[in-house]
Amino acid sequence: MHLFLLGVSHRTAPVDLRERLDFSSRDLGAAVEALSTRPSAAEAVVLSTCNRSEIYVASSDLPRAHEELIAFLSEYHQLSRADFQPHLFSYDDAAAARHLFKVAAGLDSLVVGEPQILGQVKDAFQAAADRRCTGPLLSKLFPWAFGVGKRVRTETAVGEGAVSVSFAAVSLAKKIFGRLEGRHVLLLGAGEISTLTAQHLRGCGVAEIVIASRTTANAEALAAEVSGRAIPWEDMTAALGRADIVITATGSARPIITRSDVESVTRRRRNSPLFIIDIAVPRDVDPSVSEIEQVFLYNVDDLQGIVRENLSRRGAEIQHAEAIVEEELSRFTTWQRSRATIPTVVALRERLHEIRRTELQRLDGKLAGLPPEARARVDEVTRLIVEKFLLEPTEQLKALPDAETQMAYTEAVNRLFRLRDDSASDAATDNPQPTPGDRRGK
Amino acid sequence: MNVLPLVLYAIAGVAYAVHFARRQPQAGRTATTLLLFAVLVHTFVIGMQTMEVRHVPFANPSRAISTFVWLLTLSYLYLELTTDERAMGVFILPIVIGLQTIPAIYPGVENADPVLDSPWFWVHVSSLLFAYASFALASVLGLTYVLQFKEIKKKHLGYFFARLPSLQILDLMNSRAVTVGWVFLTVGVIVGIIWTGQARVTSPDDPNLQAMALNDPKIFVALLTWAVYSFALFARRTMGWSGKRAAWLSPVGFAIVLLNFLLINYFVTTSHTFN
Repeated sequence: MHLFLLGVSHRTAPVDLRERLDFSSRDLGAAVEALSTRPSAAEAVVLSTCNRSEIYVASSDLPRAHEELIAFLSEYHQLSRADFQPHLFSYDDAAAARHLFKVAAGLDSLVVGEPQILGQVKDAFQAAADRRCTGPLLSKLFPWAFGVGKRVRTETAVGEGAVSVSFAAVSLAKKIFGRLEGRHVLLLGAGEISTLTAQHLRGCGVAEIVIASRTTANAEALAAEVSGRAIPWEDMTAALGRADIVITATGSARPIITRSDVESVTRRRRNSPLFIIDIAVPRDVDPSVSEIEQVFLYNVDDLQGIVRENLSRRGAEIQHAEAIVEEELSRFTTWQRSRATIPTVVALRERLHEIRRTELQRLDGKLAGLPPEARARVDEVTRLIVEKFLLEPTEQLKALPDAETQMAYTEAVNRLFRLRDDSASDAATDNPQPTPGDRRGK
Repeated sequence: MNVLPLVLYAIAGVAYAVHFARRQPQAGRTATTLLLFAVLVHTFVIGMQTMEVRHVPFANPSRAISTFVWLLTLSYLYLELTTDERAMGVFILPIVIGLQTIPAIYPGVENADPVLDSPWFWVHVSSLLFAYASFALASVLGLTYVLQFKEIKKKHLGYFFARLPSLQILDLMNSRAVTVGWVFLTVGVIVGIIWTGQARVTSPDDPNLQAMALNDPKIFVALLTWAVYSFALFARRTMGWSGKRAAWLSPVGFAIVLLNFLLINYFVTTSHTFN
């Protein structure tokens, strides 16, 4: 049984095509079910996010699976093949497993290390498992990938540091104030980043967000958006005295907060820290404000600098993360290979026990004179001999280092013992699969 | 007997350093477990010495240091377990290991001067040792505050930014440690004065008691320490000092404590040398 992957991602397809091939907006489970009725897809999982649509199947016939998956995409999304075929990528076996491990670890994401993807991979697997579309291969592969994602996140810094301006601002606020519950936020002017930042802060439980704008209507609209309170522009200085975090994003040509503004409220603030996020260009806050000891002033360039630094730090960790992916991949392929020998091992066992049974039957007449206990012992001894004989070759076959050697040995065993010729890997799927915890013990 | 705790503290110190550098939660838990074990063994050592001399061993400078290290580690563990912040361990453990080296090398003999046989004396010493342990914690919290403050203020978010707790937490913990330390320092000094007055009546010829005066270096520096921490509290409450300036006062105060505890104790003072 082979693993096959076909899909599009942000690396291969433009956003409009990705939208048209998206599964997540419709019922994902139904899509998997529709897919698994195809003869070449014995098991299937569909992973669909805004950056990728990927189909993982277990199939015994790779070219046929490839063909059927393209046909499925075309029918399901009602697109002509020519529209999407050039943007498809496909991997099989180890390469497909490697790709999934990288996806789960966030290494294939647009923003390296982003955390949502692992949850999306889990959801994709769950949707398929709920519809009973997964089997021994995929229900081993996917939990393994969750483990890889978790390992990469705990053992490397690939997911660390904020990578957007608004999150960088929030993470700074947390390092200054600790818990943000009970903090007061003053928002001056409107803008995408400032609104987003205010919303993140709201999510962190700040006590209130006060909005001052020169036009009351704007202030009220913004107040509704971030569930804050609008105040007249004239009350801005008074609000500054209460605020812990100030976000400015006005279109003013000159600074609206000067050093003397902040100094005039310092006494009222009892020297508590003040974090000012100046997202406006040109700047709203006089740079000399940062000379006041308890004031932390960050403008949009500073925040973007932090984002760039965090991104490059994540980039530096990619190698480390990829090493983990390769390590896990080699364990996974070893597991997969060991499964390829199972039919041969089973056939060999069958053959030897068959010989044992035939010989015992042949001797039935001679053994008839023995008491029942002695007969039972003969049965037991012959069974033990067969088992002992099987033990070593079974272990050796499973432990062979690469697929080629393994195939040669399996072939040799098949010939030497005249086992069934068609002991292809198909039979492997009928065997009970080990639990996901097995790999750690090896 | 003090060597074994030293070795265990050193091992825990390595674990805290590994945790700080790699930020693996597992390494942090290991570090805490190792430190708990070390302090348990140290408790046992101090318990043995207590049985031996029939009181907590701190009438001899070396043994007092060992008891101080034990109190410091316990206070640190209390802080760590209540806040779940392990980053300070890497700063505390060097102090613990450095100070524990002294009793490990010079075990010292616990003296049994009958003058010391007073409950006042034990309250005096244990209050001061606990105060000094709090100041040691406060100084580390102050220093880490300054490190974190500098990175945020200079907009260079580097090594410490990700590892240290927030400024607010550090400031709060520092303020608490200084307050607790100050209370015990005050109690210790007052009890010391009362006890000296009583002891002078019962043993008027003791040279130590005669040397108990403001011009004795140890007593003078102890009062200087009290003045520094009193100012730290005053500046916080009434002058609105918090943050960086308040944070700096803690290591300054603790430097004076160490000066008193090590140099003056061993070489200069004429009071407090009971034999």
